[in-house]
Amino acid sequence: MDFANLVDQLNAGTILPEGIVLTTLMVIVVGDLIVGRSASRWIPYTAIAGLLAAVVALYLQWNNPNPISFLGAFNSDDLSIVFRGIIALSTAVTILMSIRYIEQSGTALAEFIGIMLTATLGGMFLSGASELVTIFISLETLSISSYLMTGYTKRDPRSNEAALKYLLIGASSTGVFLYGVSLLYGLSGGETQLSAIASAIADANLSQSLGLVISLVFVIAGVAFKISAAPFHQWTPDVYEGSPTPVVAFLSVGSKAAGFALAIRLMNSAFPLLIDEWQFVFTALAVLSMVLGNVVALAQTSMKRMLAYSSIGQAGFVMIGLIAGTEAGYASMIFYLLVYLFMNLGAFTCLILFTLRTGTDQISEYSGLYQKDPLLTLCLSICLLSLGGIPPLAGFFGKIYLFWAGWQAGQYGLVLLGLVTTVVSIYYYIRVVRMMVVKEPQEMSDAVKNYPEVQWNLPGMRPLQVGLVLTLVATSLAGILSNPLFTLANSSIARTTTLQPIVISSHFSATVPAENSALQTQQ
Amino acid sequence: MNLAEGVQLVSFAILAVMMIGSALGVVLFSNIVYSAFLLAGVFVSISGIYLLLNADFVATAQILIYVGAVNVLILFAIMLVNKREDFKPLPNAWVRPTMTAIVSAGLFVLLSTMVLVTPWAYSTESVSSDTTIVLIGQHFFSDFLLPFELASVLLLMAMVGAIILARREFLPDQVITPDKQQQPVLTLPERPRELVGISSDKTSNLDDSRRSE
Amino acid sequence: MTTGIDLQGSFIKSLIDLGLPAGAAKAVWMPVPMVLMLIGATVGVLVTIWQERKISAAAQQRIGPEFMGPFGLLSPVADGIKFVFKEDIIPAKSDPWLFTLGPIIVVLPVFLSYLIVPFGENLAVTNVATGVFLWIALSSVQPIGLLMSGYASNNKYSLLGGLRAAAQSISYEIPLALAVLAVVMMSNSLSSIDIVEQQSGYGIFGWNVWRQPIGFLIFWISALAECERMPFDLPEAEEELVAGYQTEYSGMKFALYYVASYVNLVLSALLVTVLYLGGWESPIPIELLAGWLGISETSPWLEIADASLGITMTVLKAYFLVFTAILLRWTVPRVRIDQLLDLGWKFLLPVSLANLLLTAALKLAFPAAFGG
Repeated sequence: MDFANLVDQLNAGTILPEGIVLTTLMVIVVGDLIVGRSASRWIPYTAIAGLLAAVVALYLQWNNPNPISFLGAFNSDDLSIVFRGIIALSTAVTILMSIRYIEQSGTALAEFIGIMLTATLGGMFLSGASELVTIFISLETLSISSYLMTGYTKRDPRSNEAALKYLLIGASSTGVFLYGVSLLYGLSGGETQLSAIASAIADANLSQSLGLVISLVFVIAGVAFKISAAPFHQWTPDVYEGSPTPVVAFLSVGSKAAGFALAIRLMNSAFPLLIDEWQFVFTALAVLSMVLGNVVALAQTSMKRMLAYSSIGQAGFVMIGLIAGTEAGYASMIFYLLVYLFMNLGAFTCLILFTLRTGTDQISEYSGLYQKDPLLTLCLSICLLSLGGIPPLAGFFGKIYLFWAGWQAGQYGLVLLGLVTTVVSIYYYIRVVRMMVVKEPQEMSDAVKNYPEVQWNLPGMRPLQVGLVLTLVATSLAGILSNPLFTLANSSIARTTTLQPIVISSHFSATVPAENSALQTQQ
Repeated sequence: MNLAEGVQLVSFAILAVMMIGSALGVVLFSNIVYSAFLLAGVFVSISGIYLLLNADFVATAQILIYVGAVNVLILFAIMLVNKREDFKPLPNAWVRPTMTAIVSAGLFVLLSTMVLVTPWAYSTESVSSDTTIVLIGQHFFSDFLLPFELASVLLLMAMVGAIILARREFLPDQVITPDKQQQPVLTLPERPRELVGISSDKTSNLDDSRRSE
Repeated sequence: MTTGIDLQGSFIKSLIDLGLPAGAAKAVWMPVPMVLMLIGATVGVLVTIWQERKISAAAQQRIGPEFMGPFGLLSPVADGIKFVFKEDIIPAKSDPWLFTLGPIIVVLPVFLSYLIVPFGENLAVTNVATGVFLWIALSSVQPIGLLMSGYASNNKYSLLGGLRAAAQSISYEIPLALAVLAVVMMSNSLSSIDIVEQQSGYGIFGWNVWRQPIGFLIFWISALAECERMPFDLPEAEEELVAGYQTEYSGMKFALYYVASYVNLVLSALLVTVLYLGGWESPIPIELLAGWLGISETSPWLEIADASLGITMTVLKAYFLVFTAILLRWTVPRVRIDQLLDLGWKFLLPVSLANLLLTAALKLAFPAAFGG
């Protein structure tokens, strides 16, 4: 194989968006090294520009006729493009909100953004990785950067505790994941590409072997850690509480989206033979996550912890789409993640703003905020109500689509449970809104009484404002004008070839009742 | 059985006993320094098994990386912070080891059943150890090019992160201002929770160390 | 080109002629080179110790050992006998197991590394495909033994010495490996025999030292640091740490450390010879000499002369390097620990990286000269 021939086969143009992110990363690291402290003025904007350029590059690759690149290591189909876009966008919004936060905590901004971009890079590669080694390395890139960011405020014992917990639990879950992956490698007789693994296992008649089931369980344990599904969620509340808030925002959106992308690809490409088994395991995870996440969130007093449990619950909702296993199911996952991106990041932006002005994130301290800062109150209320799924907002349409897809696929129990836990979740979201809006002036908390004058011209506040307004607009409008997002989600699934055969086979084997019900509705 | 096969069998037996023995030692010794040294024994035995599998490059890399770098770093960390401390014996201290033993034994039975039951797809082509390095190189620059390059980004950022976490910050003296917003450097802006709160979940006792200021 | 003398082939052949089965003959052969190499390494140490004493004496205008044998040649033997008869003390409150294991772990990899030192085309224990990489890996095991004895001695100077030794060894392994990598890149092989062969054919002008002058210096500096030789002997800096990790040792255990450090020095010198000074090749190629004298290349006595010349050349070059190391010991002051680490991380590492890149560029530009 000569060099030119190899370059042709690599089809390296598919990772252009990642290349842009990587170049931005290098510019930031080297630029900060050369220019010094004053570089922090332009660094975040460079990073955002790079990420937006990456999103544009992703858009230009939409519907790529030849998505397989790097001899099968990377698959740049439309599914991966949507997920990579979600991750890049979430990082861009996160950087908007992190500038002021990081400067106020006295840590170095350039390195923070560098690590954040590396995590993004890992997540983007993870969304398209279709080969075991690539999956593992990109997963590690994402995880190690996340550990580093978690411990970034290193003088704070809570941050140290969070980083250590995250590192230890993450390392053990990576070990378990690796064990499962190595079993796949062994069972398939030495294949690392997901599609080759599936066909090799089918050829060797190992589809119902104990080894494959154990490998499935171990792999799901690793993935469930990334999407923090119960019972692999134990790290979430402590890590969310102890990490810098922008990191939490990234972990709850970007990192989670990458985890879901991995789950979809791995389950569909490597375990098509065990479709009943993995749907069963994910059903258990979804039930536990929805119940535990939403019920425990009721008892929280800190906003960050509450959002941590709420994110566990939200992961449970998204898993309904995965379990449905139909095209509509996957499309609803993508749609919900897109919506979740804006509403969750909006909530975190508000959280950061409140924390920066008052130095606390206790829910009780929010009481009476309406009198002092209407914009913040409005934005936080809209985002929380949208997370809860109140009708005209984006979250409502996302949830409806998820539940509809689940119902179509015959997951009645799961959908009913989802509805019940949604009601529970609305309670604790509304509690915060009530705290902010309804309270009389004399019931105002100390933090709000001493609320500083709203100043948007402090350094780093302007991007925070931009992020606030952006997410507010997106959250309130994405519901009513959801058609483009809807089409995007649907067409990305429809054009992804790896999902097609499996949808068909699931129709034949697993979801006969769903087929019947679908037929009945058509009649 | 000829000479070579006999030697292989005997070496495998020795390596296996050494590996399992030292792995058990790592887990069971209460002195963490012994555990760390025995970990080196585990790594060396694993590298010996790689040698028996004709993977000479991987065996050498295993020694270089795991024994020469990882284990030495572990030892460094232990020896720099090794503070002898007598812990109060917990009531019912036997419960945890017993539970762990039961879970581990169950996992062992499950995995060994799996290994025995599964009809593994053996690769029949013989491996020549002379060309391992060439083969590894070819894979690195063809079908594993992407993970190979991505690993360099990962290592770069791990290095940057390690330096950030380990470097000594020369902090300017905090300007004492009446401004309540002034937070201590390199900490979270959120105030830690009060210990006597009504919070339902357990609070880390690290919090009170920060409240002293 | 001749393949040189084939000791193994002729040995096994003669055994088979005596009536042994082929397998048994091979089994009889196997330990022979290993034992020979062990004896060679030990004798090499004795010579080095004698050399060290004589040259140190000369540097200080003394005479040095004189009465034990001709020119004091037997003084290292006397040292050895003294060590054997000394009492073996294990300090109270030390950890006896780790205390004993430490020196063994330090000595073993050094002797094992002789596996890859070639003295001629077929005069090596075995031709390991991973060659120099194996040596780097083995030398990275040493710090474990140093940490072990530093910890087990239950003495703060020992612990500090052990930690320093490990830190030093890790820091200098990286430039060392990068320098080796540049050589490996030129010879397209990790095997020490291939590396020497790639330098053969042009006599002294073919040696790697001309193509890798920076690499040669980096390698020699790092190798000295790895051996804890004088400008870098901080782990046992007597003014600060008594004797570092060796403080509590006596008798044979101390002798093991003593031997290990000298074996390591000779080994490093041998490897510099192999990597940069053409190994067993003589400055004037022997084929050329044979051609001038009109002797057939295949005549048996030429093969024997070639083999003995190879061994002599390797040993001569190595001992010249040992000589420079000893001279350095008495002419260069000891560095401080922060200077040592600065030199390793901030100077040698970037320079060796640049050297690697430069070698790669030269290899692309002049494939003929740089082993394309």
